[in-house]
Amino acid sequence: MTIRGEAPGRRAPAAAGDDLAGLLSRIAARDAAAFAALYRQTSAKLYGTVARILNRGDAAADVLQEAYVRIWERAGEFDPLKGSPLAWMATIARNRALDEVRRVRPGSLEDQPESFEPAADDVDPLAARARSEELARLMDCLQRLDDEKRAIVLLAYYRGSSREALARRFGRPVATIKTWLHRSLAQLRDCLAS
Amino acid sequence: MTITPDDDFAAAEYALGTLAPVERATLAARRLREPELDEAIRAWETRLAPLAEAAPEIEPPRDLLPAIEASIRAARPEAPSNAAVAALRRSLGRWRAAAIAASVLAAVLAIGFVAREMSRQSVPREYVAILQKDAASPAFEVTVNLDKQELTVRPVAAHAPPGKSYELWIIDAKLGAPRSLGVIGETSHAANLSGYDPVVVENATFAVTVEPPGGSPDGKPSGPPVFVGKLTPVEP
Repeated sequence: MTIRGEAPGRRAPAAAGDDLAGLLSRIAARDAAAFAALYRQTSAKLYGTVARILNRGDAAADVLQEAYVRIWERAGEFDPLKGSPLAWMATIARNRALDEVRRVRPGSLEDQPESFEPAADDVDPLAARARSEELARLMDCLQRLDDEKRAIVLLAYYRGSSREALARRFGRPVATIKTWLHRSLAQLRDCLAS
Repeated sequence: MTITPDDDFAAAEYALGTLAPVERATLAARRLREPELDEAIRAWETRLAPLAEAAPEIEPPRDLLPAIEASIRAARPEAPSNAAVAALRRSLGRWRAAAIAASVLAAVLAIGFVAREMSRQSVPREYVAILQKDAASPAFEVTVNLDKQELTVRPVAAHAPPGKSYELWIIDAKLGAPRSLGVIGETSHAANLSGYDPVVVENATFAVTVEPPGGSPDGKPSGPPVFVGKLTPVEP
């Protein structure tokens, strides 16, 4: 099942070729109208994804713009067997945001204290009302991690938190965070494969 | 799959986003040359991607769509003017087909290899690389003469963004951090390779970053590479 955007009134009528996968295949054929429709249906979701990582509106807008240019360029490469259209697009957008926030530069950001929004703003996928089968399965595996370790994975995913930021937030050495990440990710991989 | 457990963790952290900047840049360069690593990163992206569904929506700034549509129109690659480059591009086709199949989401970049093999003993030792952002847009042509220890880089269809400079880097594990080969002007730029082991040069990745005018202020890339490629021997 494909989640298109949860706000009521955003959904386009379910015409043939108008779902996200259909739009992507039309975009691969350089259909500008399909691109505009795709943007209208997905931009709030993708902006929500990159803005939480970047914490700066101008950078988030730039990254969103680059992500959609890339989606336009690569629409033909979308493979429905490897996940939903939204997951594919979000991966592109998130990677761009992470490249931005993890740029190699003097006095790298990871040395700076990272400002966190209040915990209430942190995303809780368990609270998501509509879930695809893939998300339900992943959440089932995430549920098997300790609370703290699950929170670390989710903060890294949704907020782009660095190991250093996570170490500060959880009051643990960076090496511990790294070890936990590796164990949690290995556990997730094995759980998803089972 | 021949990937080591350490590399799989690195791939997992790359996908999750927790790698430190230098680790991330290193892995981004390595995945271009190591299909197993690239595949591992994709597998992790696929595992984690369903989380995106649960990200609450935030309305982006208005008027972004027209800006995106304008940059899509502007991003159409220019046809290379030079017949030699056009010939190189044609020869790239077969490699690209395989590369695209193997690396559908190739991160920021796809590498351009020139798929022409040469016999080992042929001289002079000349090499060429096409640095690309994606399969359709060659941006720079790098030529290397190992006997003369000379490198020349020439823009094919690339213009630095206003107020920025393009800078060329040589990247190889044996060199540690990326090393600058200088700022690329509008025409061409030559660099001396006498300080580099020829074997390293042959196998290195060449990358172009966007830098402040005049180049990186601290001798390190300011951002991820925007164009990447590797050398391939030129037939005599």
